[in-house]
Amino acid sequence: MKTLATIYKEFLLLIRDPGGLALIFIMPLALVMVMALVQDAPFRDYQEIKLDVLFVDQDGDSLSAKVKQAFDASPNVNLVVKTDTTEAKQLVRSGAFKAAIVIPAHSSETLREKTRQLIVEVFSNFGLTEAPKDSVDLAAIGIKVLFDPAIKSNYKQTLTGGIQKIVAGIQAEWILDELQNQLSEGRSDVKKTPVNLTEIIQVNEQYASEKKYEGLMLNSVQHNVPAWTMFAMFFILYPLAGNFIKEREEGSMLRLRLISGSQFPVISGKFAFYFLVCLLQFVLMIAVGIYIMPLLGLSKLVLGTNIIGILLVACSVAMAATGYGVLIAVYFRTPQQALSFGSVSVVILSAIGGVWVPVYVMPEILQTLSRFSPMSWGLEAFNDLFLRQASIQTILPNVLRLTGFSLVALFISVIIHKSRTIL
Amino acid sequence: MSTSAVHLINLTKQYPHSTKPAVSNLTLHIPEGAVYGLLGPNGAGKSTTVMMLCGLMRPDAGTVNVLGMDMQEQSVEIRKKIGVASQDIALFPTLTAYENLFYFGRMYGMSGSMIRQQIDKYLHVFGLTEKSKKIVHTFSGGMKRRLNLMAALLHQPKLVILDEPTAGVDVQSRNMILDFLTLLKSEGTTIIYSSHVLEEAERICSHLGVIDEGKFITEGTLVDIMNTHSDCQSLEQLFLKLTGKNIRD
Repeated sequence: MKTLATIYKEFLLLIRDPGGLALIFIMPLALVMVMALVQDAPFRDYQEIKLDVLFVDQDGDSLSAKVKQAFDASPNVNLVVKTDTTEAKQLVRSGAFKAAIVIPAHSSETLREKTRQLIVEVFSNFGLTEAPKDSVDLAAIGIKVLFDPAIKSNYKQTLTGGIQKIVAGIQAEWILDELQNQLSEGRSDVKKTPVNLTEIIQVNEQYASEKKYEGLMLNSVQHNVPAWTMFAMFFILYPLAGNFIKEREEGSMLRLRLISGSQFPVISGKFAFYFLVCLLQFVLMIAVGIYIMPLLGLSKLVLGTNIIGILLVACSVAMAATGYGVLIAVYFRTPQQALSFGSVSVVILSAIGGVWVPVYVMPEILQTLSRFSPMSWGLEAFNDLFLRQASIQTILPNVLRLTGFSLVALFISVIIHKSRTIL
Repeated sequence: MSTSAVHLINLTKQYPHSTKPAVSNLTLHIPEGAVYGLLGPNGAGKSTTVMMLCGLMRPDAGTVNVLGMDMQEQSVEIRKKIGVASQDIALFPTLTAYENLFYFGRMYGMSGSMIRQQIDKYLHVFGLTEKSKKIVHTFSGGMKRRLNLMAALLHQPKLVILDEPTAGVDVQSRNMILDFLTLLKSEGTTIIYSSHVLEEAERICSHLGVIDEGKFITEGTLVDIMNTHSDCQSLEQLFLKLTGKNIRD
C-alpha cells in the first residue's frame, strides 16, 4: 500500500511538472525523429549507394555498349551519357557529379585485336596454327575514371571495383568468342555457342533472416529508434534524480526518513513509477517508428516476430535506466552535481554503446569499451530481435547483463542511502 | 519520579573535523505530558540533540530512551510514536494539502478511513478546510506552517518534536498554532519545543532546558527556573543572563 501510495504521489508530481513531461516524452520523440532523418543519408551511403556517374563514350562500339549495359543494370549507379570529355571533367571537378567513366576511341577494336592476337599466339604455341608474322604490339586500353576529390573512398572503391569486374567479364567472354572463331576456321556450318559467363557462376546476396523479413537490414529507422529510445530511457535520471534531491533539500525526504518503515516503499515506489514511465516511453517511441517515420519519408520500423523477447529487453533496459537514475539520485548531494554528471555519463554511455553510430564503424578501442555500456547490451538485443528474429535464448545474456546492472546499481544505492541515514 | 517520555543519559556527539563536541555528556529527563522548551543560541547543540532523539543521528556515547524504549534497539517502534515538525516546510509543493496529508498518512501505515478522519479533523482545527484542494506552493507562509504541523500529527504521536513551528508566520497563525499546542498538552501529549521566540516558550512550556556549547546551563520546570533567577523579569532576560550577549555564528 505504501509503495502504491508512492507511485501515485510520483504520478501526481510528474503530471504537474510540464518541464519534466516535455523532457520525458516530447523531447525524446523529437530527438528520435530528427536523428533518424539526419542519419538517413549516411545510412544510405553505406547500404543504398546510388551514384550519378557521367559516361563518355568515345568508342561507340560493343565494349562501351557492354559497359553501359552493365552499369544500367546496376542499382547503385545512375549513368548520365556525355560526349565531351572536357565537359565531363569540368562537371566532376565542380562536384556536380562524383565520377566520370571515359571509354577511349577504338577500345572495342583494340580489345578485339588483342584478343585475336592472344588466341593466335596460344594456338601457334600448340602448333595448331602458324606463328603470326605481322603482329603489332598494341597499347593497353586505357579506360579512364575521373573522380571528384571530395568523393568518399568507399564510393571510389565501389565504382572502380565495378568497372574492373565488368571489363574482366567482357574480356573473358570475348576470349572465348575468339576461341570459337579460331577453332571454326571460318566455317559457316559450325554453330557458335553464345558466351554468357554470368550464367555459369552467380553471386546471390541474401540476408540470413526469415523469409518474411528477407531484405530487411540496418537502416536509419531500425538503428535510431531503439538506440534513441534507450537514450531517452536512461535520461529518466533527470526527473528522477531532480525530484529525489529536491525532496531531500525541501525536507519532505527528512519527514519520510522519520517515518518508520517508509524507506523501502519510498525507493521501490519511485523505482516502480519511473520503470513504468520508461516502458511508456518505449511504447511511444516504437509507435513513432512504426506510424510516424513512414510519413517523414523514412522506412517503417520492423519489430520482428518475438514480441515477448522485445518486452523482455524493454523491461530490462527500463530496469537498468531506472536503477542508474536511483544511484545518481542517491549518490549526489546537489541537483547540479547529479544532473551534470548524470547527463554527461548518459551521453558517454550512449556514444560508446553505439547509439550515435553503430559500434561496427567505431575504432577497435571503442568497440572494446562498448562491451561495458548497458546501452550496447540493449541495442545488441534489439538488433538481434528486430533484424535477426532472435530467440529468447539468444537475447538472454544481454537481458541478464541489463538486469544485473540494475540490481547492482540499486544495491549500491541502498548502501549509500543507509549509510547517510539514521541508526 | 514521574514516568519519562524522554530520558537521555550522558549523550555525547562530536562531528568529524570539529575540535569540540556539539553535545557533551548531556543528561535529560522529560516527564510524560510535559511541554519541554529546548532553548539555546545558534550552534548550542539543540538540533544535534533533537536529531539523536529522533534516531537520525547516532551518538558517540550515551543512551537515548524514548517512551520507555531504547533508541539503539527499538528505533522502528519509537519512530512510529513520534511526530516531528521540522523548521523546513517538509511538504510536496506541487501536491494539494489533502494529497500531501493523505500520502504521509499512508506512509504512517494508516487506513484510508482513518487518514480521511484525521485530515478532516486537522483541516478544521487549523482552518484549512476550504484550501484542502489547493496546491501547496500557492499557500501563504502561515498556511504552509500549519500544514507542516498537521503532517506531523496525523498518526496521533505520543511525543511531538517541534523545531521553530511558528517561524515566518503572522500573528494570527502563530496564535492558532500555540492554542492548538496548549490543547495538545491538555490531552497529555508530550511536546519538545525548540524556538528562539522566548515569549512563546514562556506561554506554553511547563519545563525548560537552556543549552549552550553542548551542555545544559539550566534545566527544570519553568516555575523553578524563574524562581531561582528571581532577578530576571522575563525568560528573555534570563536567557541573555545565562548565554551572554555575544553574537553567535
